[in-house]
Amino acid sequence: MDFFSLILWPIKWVIEAILVGWHTLFMALGMDAASGITWVLSITGLVLVVRAALIPVFVRQIKSQRRMMEIAPQLKKIQDKYKGKRDQFSREAMSRETMELYKRTGTNPLSSCLPLLLQMPIFLSLFYVLSDAYAGKRGVGLLNEQLSEQFGDASLFGLAPLGSSMVSSEGNVAVIVIAVILVILMTASQFITQLQIMSKNQSPEMKASPMYRQQRVLLYLLPLVFAFSGFAFPLGVMFYWFVSNIWTMVQQFIVIRNMPTPGSEAALAREARLAKKRQRRGLPTIVEDEPEPKAEEPKKTQRQQPVGKNRAKKKGK
Amino acid sequence: MSILRSLLLVPRNLVIALLRVYRAVISPLYGDVCRYYPSCSAFALGAVQEHGVAQGGWLAARRLARCHPWAEGGIDDVPLHEHSPYRRTRFGFVVIDRKA
Repeated sequence: MDFFSLILWPIKWVIEAILVGWHTLFMALGMDAASGITWVLSITGLVLVVRAALIPVFVRQIKSQRRMMEIAPQLKKIQDKYKGKRDQFSREAMSRETMELYKRTGTNPLSSCLPLLLQMPIFLSLFYVLSDAYAGKRGVGLLNEQLSEQFGDASLFGLAPLGSSMVSSEGNVAVIVIAVILVILMTASQFITQLQIMSKNQSPEMKASPMYRQQRVLLYLLPLVFAFSGFAFPLGVMFYWFVSNIWTMVQQFIVIRNMPTPGSEAALAREARLAKKRQRRGLPTIVEDEPEPKAEEPKKTQRQQPVGKNRAKKKGK
Repeated sequence: MSILRSLLLVPRNLVIALLRVYRAVISPLYGDVCRYYPSCSAFALGAVQEHGVAQGGWLAARRLARCHPWAEGGIDDVPLHEHSPYRRTRFGFVVIDRKA
């Protein structure tokens, strides 16, 4: 056993336990042990367990997003201070001040890269569990020989085994068609989530930064990378990724809709929605969250001509 | 003498190049997620530039351990030497300062 699989061993064990647990549950509900749908649902169950375990992180993020609305005026002040300044030093100074504000008020909306990194070993482990099962090897824990064989051969719609990939399909048309569909679904869901965050939930200042432009290029490059790497993934792994993406998408949608980043497009949309709601109910239109500073009236450069009493009267009529 | 000192900087500059590639290709995938300023990868780059592979790597590892969803976050700069015999190029490589 090499070093790499030694690290993944405990994660593989847990993943097998969760999969077998769901499988037993579905069998108890009267589903066929070897049928594809039972194992596909077990993979969905695995997604639910993994993402539910990450809910505390998500809740924390929501809480700080909510508090972020309170510091919106201060945040806007910083953004205004660096408005239109695109040089590196101003950008750095702006991030520095923003971070200081977050710390002072305890409202850091960022969740660090840990939740993202945690998904990687889980994904890799599932890849190995499924590949091993397809190759006829038993798992490291609860996935015994019989279950392993069932898991590897369980087929989607009775056509394509979960453990097969486009590379290992040996010209099986059903596998290729389903793999292509899954690659498209997986890529599309990833793309939409990313686009949602980038185009709607970032302030104009952020959008002016070079980091944003870099992100934008990658947004369009990534689908290509996925499309190619997707050919080597077993169908079950792609399915896991797809369901996980759907979860992220819904989660992101809720946050962006209800707790947008102040100053972003989504924040404006939310204000407009609230105003409309008030209007419908016949309430006076007051914006309660963010008292937007009134746009200054354009200064008149031309002096107003003095008007005689009589003419003023005429005009008034 | 100067060649020998330049050779000593080779491992440091290799790691700097790797970190630059990481920051150009992989960092943007995450977007802005770090709870600290500078972000973990920027911190690692600065630490290796300032302290070399071993000590800078150790500083970066400790920073990574500090960065999790329950950390307070905030500003966390790399500790700097008062005088450095090195100069940084625009790309970020560390070279011997001819003026010093």
